Amino acid sequence: MSYNERDTVPLNQSSQSDIDEIENLINYTVQSGPATVLPARPPSPPRASIPVSSSPFIPSNLPPLPQKPAYVPPALPPPSNPNANGQQQLTGFGSPPNTLTEPVWDTVKRDLSRIVSNLKLVVFPNPFREDPGKALRDWDLWGPFFFIVFLGLTLSWSASVKKSEVFAVAFALLATGAVILTLNVLLLGGHIIFFQSLSLLGYCLFPLDVGALICMLKDNVVLKIVVVCVTLAWSSWAAYPFISMAVNPRRKALALYPVLLMYVSVGFLIIAIN
Amino acid sequence: MDLNPPPGENYANPRICFFHVLFKAGALAFYILSALFSDSFVIIFVVTVLLAALDFWVVKNVSGRILVGLRWWNEIDDNGESVWKFECLDQESLARMNKKDSWLFWWTLYLTAVVWIFFGIFSLIRFQADYLLVVGVCLTLSIANIVGFTKCRKDAKKQIQQFASQTIASRFSSTLQSAFSVV
Repeated sequence: MSYNERDTVPLNQSSQSDIDEIENLINYTVQSGPATVLPARPPSPPRASIPVSSSPFIPSNLPPLPQKPAYVPPALPPPSNPNANGQQQLTGFGSPPNTLTEPVWDTVKRDLSRIVSNLKLVVFPNPFREDPGKALRDWDLWGPFFFIVFLGLTLSWSASVKKSEVFAVAFALLATGAVILTLNVLLLGGHIIFFQSLSLLGYCLFPLDVGALICMLKDNVVLKIVVVCVTLAWSSWAAYPFISMAVNPRRKALALYPVLLMYVSVGFLIIAIN
Repeated sequence: MDLNPPPGENYANPRICFFHVLFKAGALAFYILSALFSDSFVIIFVVTVLLAALDFWVVKNVSGRILVGLRWWNEIDDNGESVWKFECLDQESLARMNKKDSWLFWWTLYLTAVVWIFFGIFSLIRFQADYLLVVGVCLTLSIANIVGFTKCRKDAKKQIQQFASQTIASRFSSTLQSAFSVV
């Protein structure tokens, strides 16, 4: 076992820059035998985590490497318990130097592009709509966060009195509504992942955001009603396949009805604000 | 954990430490000061929650990796199951992490959550539901990071222990072998 070949490594860190450290890490792990901890996995592809996906260390220009549990170092027991909410896997840490020095702007751009792609998947027609599990695979919560805050702000600006309460009510309604709707689907025996569903319901608010913005700019009641109806239909159309696919067909209506109810109430809120 | 930073070393990554603390302190400071001076709840809410969200992102993606070598995220695999992944540096690099950095990291992480809980109790006592909402959101973000990194650390410790025991076992067996070969 070659674990002791590093006896002479200086322990104090302060004189080493990050890049040197990572380079050393890679060199040592390359030189070490198979028994030491491997930098097993490549950093994951820009996948979502809560709420923002990618870290600055994801290599955008490395060749894509396969991720398999086989990379787990032999000292660990294989992840043998698939709980309902996922397994824990331990891997070594392999991060090539160039992503450490990736400027923050690149990370921000990558996250923004993920938000845009998620938005396009959910709200606009696309071939993945029939397979909801695949569609929102890279869920993230930044998009829904921005949309909910934007809707609250728009409603608050449109209100002439009690602006703070309008905002607080809108935000709380949307946030808890999303959570409760997700729980509803789960309790009906549906197969949907909690954060994926939260993310979806948040992205489906985008049409209502647009509607609220238009209603804020133009104060005509008839126009408001038309706009809200159109955007409401759009939101419901966007949310429909994901929710209905997730539950048993006989319970589709039970799962869909609260979603529609929530969007209708938000629509009324938009119309009624003056 | 001790109350004082470990002596002797300097911070290895002062800028990262600074940012790690900046957004946390900014959210708390803004919350306190604006509750005293400003009337507009909307501004307080949006700015505080925005700072808390930025802090969440920084801790999760930047300072967690650099200061303590831990990372956690969630993936959805091909079966549609959600998988939580926890990752840590291998043992050698973990041992080489700057002690002061990790002291700062963990202390500020736990401390902000405690302070937010404190504010939450405060606003509960005053029956201010909307401020409770702000505190709730910030607390959720802090606790998410704490849970994630603590799980990472526990797994890291478990990994180290198993690694050590395997080392001992293999060395023991090699010693035995050499003893038998001599005999």
